[in-house]
Amino acid sequence: MAALQEKKSCSQRMEEFRHYCWNPDTGQMLGRTLSRWVWISLYYVAFYVVMTGLFALCIYVLMQTIDPYTPDYQDQLKSPGVTLRPDVYGEKGLEIHYNISDNRTWTSLTHTLRSFLAGYSPAAQVDNINCTSKTYFFQESFGAPNHTKFSCKFTADMLENCSGLTDPSFGFKEGKPCFIIKMNRIVRFLPSNSTPPRVDCTFLDMPHQALTPLQVEYYPPNGTFSLHYFPYYGKKAQPHYSNPLVAAKLLNVPTNTEVVVLCKILADHVTFDNPHDPYEGKVEFKLKIQK
Amino acid sequence: MVGGFSILLWVGAVLCWIAFGIQYVSNPSASLDSVYLGTVLAVVVILTGIFAYYQEAKSTNIMASFCKMIPQQAVVIRDSEKKVIPAEQLVVGDIVEIKGGDQIPADIRLLSAQGCKVDNSSLTGESEPQSRSSEFTHENPLETKNITFYSTTCLEGTATGMVINTGDRTIIGRIASLASGVGNEKTPIAIEIEHFVHIVAGVAVSVGILFFIIAVCMKYHVLDAIIFLIAIIVANVPEGLLATVTVALSLTAKRMAKKNCLVKNLEAVETLGSTSIICSDKTGTLTQNRMTVAHLWFDNQIFVADTSEDNLNQGFDQSSGTWTSLSKIIALCNRAEFKPGQESVPIMKRVVVGDASETALLKFSEVILGDVMEIRKRNHKVVEIPFNSTNKFQLSIHQTEDPNDKRFLLVMKGAPERILEKCSTIMINGKEQPLDKSMAQAFHTAYMELGGLGERVLGFCHFYLPADEFPETYSFDSESMNFPTSNLCFVGLLSMIDPPRSTVPDAVTKCRSAGIKVIMVTGDHPITAKAIAKSVGIISANSETVEDIAKRCNIAVEQVNKRDAKAAVVTGMELKDMSPEQLDELLANYPEIVFARTSPQQKLIIVEGCQRQDAVVAVTGDGVNDSPALKKADIGVAMGITGSDAAKNAADMILLDDNFSSIVTGVEEGRLIFDNLKKTIAYTLTKNIAELCPFLIYIILGLPLPIGTITLLFIDLGTDIIPSIALAYEKAESDIMNRKPRHKKKDRLVNQQLAVYSYLHIGLMQALGAFLVYFTVYAQQGFRPTSLFHLRIAWDSDHLNDLEDNYGQEWTSYQRQYLEWTGYTAFFVGIMVQQIADLIIRKTRKNSIFKQGLFRNKVIWVGIASQIIVALLLSYGLGSITALNFTMLKAQYWFVAVPHAILIWVYDEMRKLFIRLYPGSWWDKNMYY
Repeated sequence: MAALQEKKSCSQRMEEFRHYCWNPDTGQMLGRTLSRWVWISLYYVAFYVVMTGLFALCIYVLMQTIDPYTPDYQDQLKSPGVTLRPDVYGEKGLEIHYNISDNRTWTSLTHTLRSFLAGYSPAAQVDNINCTSKTYFFQESFGAPNHTKFSCKFTADMLENCSGLTDPSFGFKEGKPCFIIKMNRIVRFLPSNSTPPRVDCTFLDMPHQALTPLQVEYYPPNGTFSLHYFPYYGKKAQPHYSNPLVAAKLLNVPTNTEVVVLCKILADHVTFDNPHDPYEGKVEFKLKIQK
Repeated sequence: MVGGFSILLWVGAVLCWIAFGIQYVSNPSASLDSVYLGTVLAVVVILTGIFAYYQEAKSTNIMASFCKMIPQQAVVIRDSEKKVIPAEQLVVGDIVEIKGGDQIPADIRLLSAQGCKVDNSSLTGESEPQSRSSEFTHENPLETKNITFYSTTCLEGTATGMVINTGDRTIIGRIASLASGVGNEKTPIAIEIEHFVHIVAGVAVSVGILFFIIAVCMKYHVLDAIIFLIAIIVANVPEGLLATVTVALSLTAKRMAKKNCLVKNLEAVETLGSTSIICSDKTGTLTQNRMTVAHLWFDNQIFVADTSEDNLNQGFDQSSGTWTSLSKIIALCNRAEFKPGQESVPIMKRVVVGDASETALLKFSEVILGDVMEIRKRNHKVVEIPFNSTNKFQLSIHQTEDPNDKRFLLVMKGAPERILEKCSTIMINGKEQPLDKSMAQAFHTAYMELGGLGERVLGFCHFYLPADEFPETYSFDSESMNFPTSNLCFVGLLSMIDPPRSTVPDAVTKCRSAGIKVIMVTGDHPITAKAIAKSVGIISANSETVEDIAKRCNIAVEQVNKRDAKAAVVTGMELKDMSPEQLDELLANYPEIVFARTSPQQKLIIVEGCQRQDAVVAVTGDGVNDSPALKKADIGVAMGITGSDAAKNAADMILLDDNFSSIVTGVEEGRLIFDNLKKTIAYTLTKNIAELCPFLIYIILGLPLPIGTITLLFIDLGTDIIPSIALAYEKAESDIMNRKPRHKKKDRLVNQQLAVYSYLHIGLMQALGAFLVYFTVYAQQGFRPTSLFHLRIAWDSDHLNDLEDNYGQEWTSYQRQYLEWTGYTAFFVGIMVQQIADLIIRKTRKNSIFKQGLFRNKVIWVGIASQIIVALLLSYGLGSITALNFTMLKAQYWFVAVPHAILIWVYDEMRKLFIRLYPGSWWDKNMYY
């Protein structure tokens, strides 16, 4: 009970706190005199400077061990991701809705495509060489200027009807929209053994939806990524490299219904069956064209 | 303990759920991490609560025998009819009748009484029967003659009275409710844990709010800022510590139980360690609780007998003829007998039928002479007169075992002065000599000396009845005493005492050197109390009381300078007249105090007095009436063998062997657990910074999140649990029994130094080490450290599936997520590796690890092994389960933080070295925790 009587009043506590902040008898602030504070701060400054120095040293050593051209490990990029343009995300993944009769609903989509293809204009590709080979373009030496390697040209006109040059509306106006499919870059990745990787778009089977098979027109023809764009040697070796693209023009999309389109990349070393990653080797999107 | 700490955890859990609520409202696909975290926190609190309850219930079960009270009956006059009703049905105003032998059923004011005497010892400690009548004699109800009290006994006579108080309102009921009323005080360890919670909560909340403000200033969304705030607070809560502390305490409790200290209340384990005053009972605790022959006087010489527990080593000179006679008297003039069938039991442990002194004499002679029963058979007893309080002697006449000697032997023992009166000769060296004045003087000196030792002295004499007057056929009559009972031959004196337990003096010395004051509180006579106090060292050999000084200098007690005396013997009568201030002065000024003839209530007063000195008080007791003092004490210690159920119920700890030295073992364990808890907490707090930094860096510099909250839980509740328990097995660094008890307000469990050193030194080093592993993983996968800064928004975006790294490779959202988990695993492993170093450095606070020995505490290695195994299991075993956010980490990343771990060890060895080299220096003051 003796302990219970020691409850301090609020003012006492405040007084004690004030005394702690500044104790006039000993000249202590917050429990230390000024000189003590200087000493302890000096110690901490020194300690932290040394620790930061050591950490910086460790990072420096780490950076020295890193190869500038090829990452040490690529085990987490076994198979490339696939992306779609235009890319409009809804609650669950890509959702592209537009109304043919309302220009405003699809101009933003075509705008996305146009600005994406700006990187594939002949002017942007001026530093790249023309390739015609149907095999991998291996380069062991740094033959290009500035100790780099050559990259192959990919220009928007290779996408023909979906290049935006002949049809500025990319087919959106007539309900046969173009979608551009891009495969992610992975350093020194070889997608297949001999045949070039190919894009294949289908309607995703939905119950209670009897659909005629999807008809697609691919650009470049057959929807292939030519093998001479591979392997990719990294940003430092190929500063001007641009990903090859495939455009898919969907010809028979039913109007006023939401359909799910799945575009896979068919190649020996590209997998699309990872249950966790919806964008590995494939891209899936919902499409609803209204009239 | 459960209060403060689990509230912190509950707050954490609720915050998590709130965070999820907020996230869910803004984005219904929010991850369930916060829900898991909150649930786990809640489960942790509940589990540890159940665990602590189970631990205590286990101890409490032993108390199950309590509350079995025999229903008490009372004779009451109602409706002019005598009725017998249960005592609890009595009401105020009932007229009850009491007769000798009854227990008083309530507090009663007597209306009439015939020779009524009551035994008030359970209430006041007065062992003399008190007479009661109907007269009002004193203002104080305890003093007046016309009130009898509930639970006391009427010894003789009859009385009629009116009930004035029943149940809880009776005097003893008030004592009992006092006992339950004082039970709510917090134990010192609970106060320390609360203090620790304040520190942790303070750090968590202030860092959280600081970064909330920073986040808002950096134009983060307010909802995000709130989620950061919650994450920071949760990262700071040491989830596993509550369980660890409980386990550590129960481990110690188990260890103490092995050493005969049964701990009922887990927190009491530590309380004993901070004890600064022990108020010890005498009988049974300090002493063996059995009369034993201590001294003999014959041939004008005092001999010392062995009073140790086994009593076998009686090394005094037994060649004298006087001893032969004396031993015969001791063996023959004794009515006590061993219970049959105990031949295999050691003599001192055999059960005896007979009173305490006769038992002592029987065992004494059995040890020295061998089979006493056989001796008695050979010396056939003809007649005997048992001891009674008027005669004050005991006498028997025997045929002798010598077949040629037809004389009868008369043997007698009794109060020495009465025996001496009956003697005219004295035996010296086997020869009878006349008892002259000088011999009588020698007898008195010896008698006084033995009496002054607080011992009970008996005189022995014998007489061979002349064969002519008392032929073999003589018929002795004990009623008429037709034989001589004077002019006998005095043989010797023998004194007995309840001797101290042999381990006690050592234990008291240990207490002394440990800075614990031992106060004896006993109902016994002051002289006996003082003698025992001296022999066990409670009053040390060279210290004197005021009375001793007065006697030595031959001056009046009042003239003695009180400052000269180190010791004090205070009786209950003196204590009654003292004001609290005087008692405080007494307790403060005398290092050695004995309270004699004290009542149970006075025991409470003494305990309160000690607590006013800011002391942590341990009290030992066994009676019902001790229970308030036991409750009031910071730690009540009840006796396991002699203790009453009420005392055991009120106590926090039970000495299974009633032995004082067990308390000292308890103190040692208590101090050790305090030190080890300090180490455990330091160990646990350290990683909090390493767990907190990722969030801060994430908020300020926008790195991909280095470690997730679920992963944090696996450190707090996975890898760190066994190691922190292992620290409870650590041996003491130095002799912990050679330092003062900790001051309960100054020596905190978690002090500023501990927090600062753990957070700002080792914790920071750990954070840097863990970040190094994290950066290594990212850099080797393609993201250099510099590119990670301010990458957060792009990194966390689900809609960006071609994020470029430094090599121009493009990552999908899930690929990044997986890399992030690899980062979590790497950061986790970094912390784990450095926690091994942290565990090793925490083994000592001052000594070098090498002095303490790396391998003495095997459990530490079990802890380290468990850490590594759990981490390996998480990474390689569960790496494929994505919900746990672990991935299979490459082998070399496990070693990236090793240099940092070594650095931590080296730094801490340096700290300890400087502390040892420059004690009291600036370094010592700031770095020793």
